Amino acid sequence: MKSTKFTELTQEQIDRKWWEIGDFFRRNSLWMLMYCTGCCAIELPPAMTSAYDMERLGMGPMATPRQADVLLVTGYLSLKTLRRLIYTYEQMSEPKYIVGFGSCTINGGIYHDSHVVINRLDRYVPVDVYVAGCMPNTEAVMNGFVDLMDLIKSKKADGWKRYHDNYDWYKKNQEEALGEVRIKDEFHE
Amino acid sequence: MREMKLFLGPQHPGMHGNAAVHMFVEGDIIKKSYLLPGMLHRGFEKGMERKTWVNNISLIPRVCVVEPDINELSFALATEKLAGIDVPDRAKWIRMLIMELARITIHLMAYGGLGSPTGNYTLMHHAHADRNTILNIFEKITGHRVYHQYIVPGGVRKDLPNGIEQEIHAFLDDLESRYEEYRRLGVANPTLLKRIKDTIMLPEEVVWNLGVTGIGMRSATNKAYDIRKVMPYCHYDKVEFDVPVSSYSDARSRVDLKLQEVVQSIRIIRQVLDKMEDGPVRVPLDKGQAMRWRVPKGYVYAPIESSRGEFGYYMVSNGGTHPYRVGVRGASYPQGLLGIEKYLPGTRIDDAALWVDTMGVCSPEIDR
Amino acid sequence: MNSMNNIEHVQSLMKDICSPIKENIIDQFQIAYELKQDDIHKTLGYLKNAGWIQLSYLSAVDWPDTNEIEVVYILMNWKKPVHIQLRTRIDRENPVMPSIISIYEGAKYYEREAHEFFGVKFPGNPDYEKQLILEKWDDMPPMRKDFDPRQYSDAHFVGREYSHDFTELNNQPSKQAKRQQRKTRINSLDKGGK
Repeated sequence: MKSTKFTELTQEQIDRKWWEIGDFFRRNSLWMLMYCTGCCAIELPPAMTSAYDMERLGMGPMATPRQADVLLVTGYLSLKTLRRLIYTYEQMSEPKYIVGFGSCTINGGIYHDSHVVINRLDRYVPVDVYVAGCMPNTEAVMNGFVDLMDLIKSKKADGWKRYHDNYDWYKKNQEEALGEVRIKDEFHE
Repeated sequence: MREMKLFLGPQHPGMHGNAAVHMFVEGDIIKKSYLLPGMLHRGFEKGMERKTWVNNISLIPRVCVVEPDINELSFALATEKLAGIDVPDRAKWIRMLIMELARITIHLMAYGGLGSPTGNYTLMHHAHADRNTILNIFEKITGHRVYHQYIVPGGVRKDLPNGIEQEIHAFLDDLESRYEEYRRLGVANPTLLKRIKDTIMLPEEVVWNLGVTGIGMRSATNKAYDIRKVMPYCHYDKVEFDVPVSSYSDARSRVDLKLQEVVQSIRIIRQVLDKMEDGPVRVPLDKGQAMRWRVPKGYVYAPIESSRGEFGYYMVSNGGTHPYRVGVRGASYPQGLLGIEKYLPGTRIDDAALWVDTMGVCSPEIDR
Repeated sequence: MNSMNNIEHVQSLMKDICSPIKENIIDQFQIAYELKQDDIHKTLGYLKNAGWIQLSYLSAVDWPDTNEIEVVYILMNWKKPVHIQLRTRIDRENPVMPSIISIYEGAKYYEREAHEFFGVKFPGNPDYEKQLILEKWDDMPPMRKDFDPRQYSDAHFVGREYSHDFTELNNQPSKQAKRQQRKTRINSLDKGGK
C-alpha cells in the first residue's frame, strides 16, 4: 500500500483553502437582502417567483442585513436613502457583495441633473457587479447574479475588502455628499 | 407598560416600496405613528420643467413604478387639453386596452402582495406569474416590459402588432377560468380570513375626512365613485362595466374589490378588442418639428382613475417649448400620509403592513 | 342632470360668494377661477358646504417675472362631478398663505410639501416647517425657478468621467465639433480668411 505524501502547508495556505471551500458554498447559496431602493426592484418579483425562479440559482430573499450576503441597490439613490443604505451595508457581516442595478447607479442615468440623486454609486460604497439598463429586464437581472457567482469563484468580488482598505476615502466621499452620515430626525432622538 | 419606538421599513419585507412607518407602541398597540416619505424623491417635477414636451415622454412613466401607464395617459390627456388636439378613435381604444391590462397587473400584484405580510406565499407566486404574462404581452405591444413610453400626446406610438388579440384573449380566458382559485387562495381562505376580516376598518366619515379615493372610498360608501364612470375619458362611456362597491370596509372587502375589478377589466378588454376599428393611431403634433413644439398657455388638471384612486397631472404652460410647472396628484397621498398619522394609532403592530398593502400606498408617487 | 348644467351650477354658486378676477371653463368637467387672496377661505368653506368635499390637490406655481407665487387648490365633488381650480397670487418675497386645515384636513401634508418646495408659509398648520421629503436641505426651496438643480448636482455629487474614446465614435469628431469647425470657418471667411 502506497502511502500518500502530505506536504506541509503554511497557515496562510490552509486559510486560503478554507476560504475557497467557503466561497464554493457561499456562491451557491446567496441570500439577498430585501431592500428595494428604487424602481428596478419591480423586476425582482418575477425573478423571485415562479416565472423565473431565482431559487434554482440558490438565491433567496433574507429579511435582516446581518444574515444577508448580497445587497441589491436597485436604481437611483436619493440622499435620504444613501444614508440608510450605508447603515445597512455596514451592518452586514462579511463577506458581502453589492449589485448595482440600472444606469442610475452607474452614472446617474435619467436623473443625472437632479438635486437629490447621487451620480456614481461606487464613490460611496464598493460595487461588485453592475446590471445596466433602464430598467434591466429579468433575464439581465438573472445574468447579473450569475456574473456575481463567477466573480466570487475567481475571487474578484472583493468590494468589502476595498471598503476596508479605502475606508477613509469612502467616508470622505460620503460626508462630502451627505454632510453627516448619522440619521438625525424626530424619531431617532 | 412602557412605550417603545419601532419602525417598519425602509428595509423591511412587509413594506411596499422604499418608505418607513415610524411607530410608538405600547405592548402591540400603536400609540402614535407617521409615515417617513422622501426616500424615493428624485426632483421629478423639477426635472420635467427642464425637458421639452416631447422629451418628457421618457421621464413620465418613472413616477409610479408599479403602475407607469397612468402617468403616460394623464400627461397625454393634460397636454392634449392644453393644445386642443383631438386623438384618433383607434388610439383611444388602444389606450383603454393598455390601461386595463395595466390595471390587471397592479391588482394582481397588490393581491399577491397580500401574501407577503400574511405569509401566504402560494398566492404571491400565482399572482406574480400571471402578472409576468401580461408584462410579456406589453413587451410585444410596446417593446418594453415595465416602462412603456407608449401613450404619447397625440395618440399612441405605434399600432398593435399582428396576432396580439388572440394572445390577449387566450390570457384572459385563462385568468378568468382561475378566478375561483384566486378567491379560494385569498379572500375566501379561512386561515387568511382570521387575519384580514374586521381589521383596519375604514368608516365612511373617515373617507370624507381624509379624502381617500378609489377602492378605499368605494368600499366604504357603497357608491360607484369612479372617474371612469363620473367623468369618462377615452371611450369609457362606450363600454359596459360595473364598478364593484361594498358598504363595509375592512381589509378583506377592499382586497375583494380588487379581485372583482380584475373581472370588470377583463370585460372591458373584451369589448375594446371587439369594438376597435382600423385607422390611424397618432396625429402629428407640430408640422415637422416635434422637439420645438409650443403648447398654448393654460392651466389644466387631468384626472384619471388609477388602481388606488384619482390620479392626475396639474400642468401649467406659459406658451413655451417646456412645461412651466407639472404637479402630480398622487392617489396615495391621503391614506398614506394623513391616514397613517391619524387612523393607524389604536390598531396592532402587524396591521401597519396590511394598511400599507390594502389601502394602496405607493411611495414613489408620494415622493416624486 | 347632465354635466354642462353642473358647470352652470358652479357659476351660479360663485356669483353669490365673491367676484373672481378670472374665470375659464376648461372642459365639461372642469372650471378654473382666479381669486383674491382674502376670498380663498370664504370660497373654500362655502364650496365645501355645497358638496365639494374633497381637496384633490394643493400646490404652488412660481412666477419670478411678476414676483408672485400662485397657490392652487383643486376641489372635487363626486355627486356633481366637476373639478374646480382655485388660484390666488401672493407675494414672492414673503409668501404667506393662511392654512386651510380647518376646512380641509387633508391639506396638512400638501401644505408641508408646498412649504418645502416653494417656501410658502402656512400659518395655522401646526408643523408646516418640518421637513417632509428632503433631509438636511441647505439651499433655497428647490422648486423655485431660479434654483438650478444641475449646478447643485455638479457641486455636490461627482459624476463619472469617461475616457475620450468612449465619447467619440470611431475617432470621428462629434457633430458638435464639426458644427463648431464650420462656424469658425464661416467667421474667418467673413473677416477675409484670417
